[in-house]
Amino acid sequence: MLKWVGAVVVLLILGAVIGLSVMAGGLRGAYGMVRYALPHMHRGTLRVGDNAPDASLLALDGSNRFHIRERSGARPLVIVFGSYT
Amino acid sequence: MQIYKDYKDHADFLTVYVREAHPTDEWQMKSNVKEDVCYAQPKTLEQRVAIANDFVKRFNYPTKFGIDDMSNAANDAYAAWPERIYIIDEQGRIAYRGGMGPFNYHPEEARSWLAARYGEVKHEASTAVPDKKNN
Repeated sequence: MLKWVGAVVVLLILGAVIGLSVMAGGLRGAYGMVRYALPHMHRGTLRVGDNAPDASLLALDGSNRFHIRERSGARPLVIVFGSYT
Repeated sequence: MQIYKDYKDHADFLTVYVREAHPTDEWQMKSNVKEDVCYAQPKTLEQRVAIANDFVKRFNYPTKFGIDDMSNAANDAYAAWPERIYIIDEQGRIAYRGGMGPFNYHPEEARSWLAARYGEVKHEASTAVPDKKNN
């Protein structure tokens, strides 16, 4: 019985490694995804109809600040989150 | 950024820079090297500002731009990392919530939301495909 449980666990791990490798483009990518990406990826709890959260942002000049909610009101606000890399 | 060009007269656009997705000291991609986009994960807000400015200058990026704090407050509030799109309506409510990038990042959905409100903006590339029924 223990042997079968062990075999199933090994197969599950192998399946997960193969699946992640396919998604991430290789073993190195799979490691990167698990080590660096998954801990920061969250589905979040916001839903359509919820009040939009506010946050303070720094302007490109590195000194002025503004709030997300300052930018919304008269017209819809499209917010694109992302980074360079 | 075509969606901005097409709908900037109807909606405001804000791009928010959040923590790097593929920095050199974490999970760097080959494409980053190929495209000469090689940055370590910023440890200070000044470093984030510098990278954000590089991005804007390189692509002549047109929209209003904000940089998330090192506390990642905006990122946490919107579950934004690595990339995500939201639309906030005039009442300050979430009108569109995009999926989590990269696999569920679909700017065309945000475009559809805007198109439903303000009309579709067609381009030659998308309209030049001949209709088989008319051939």
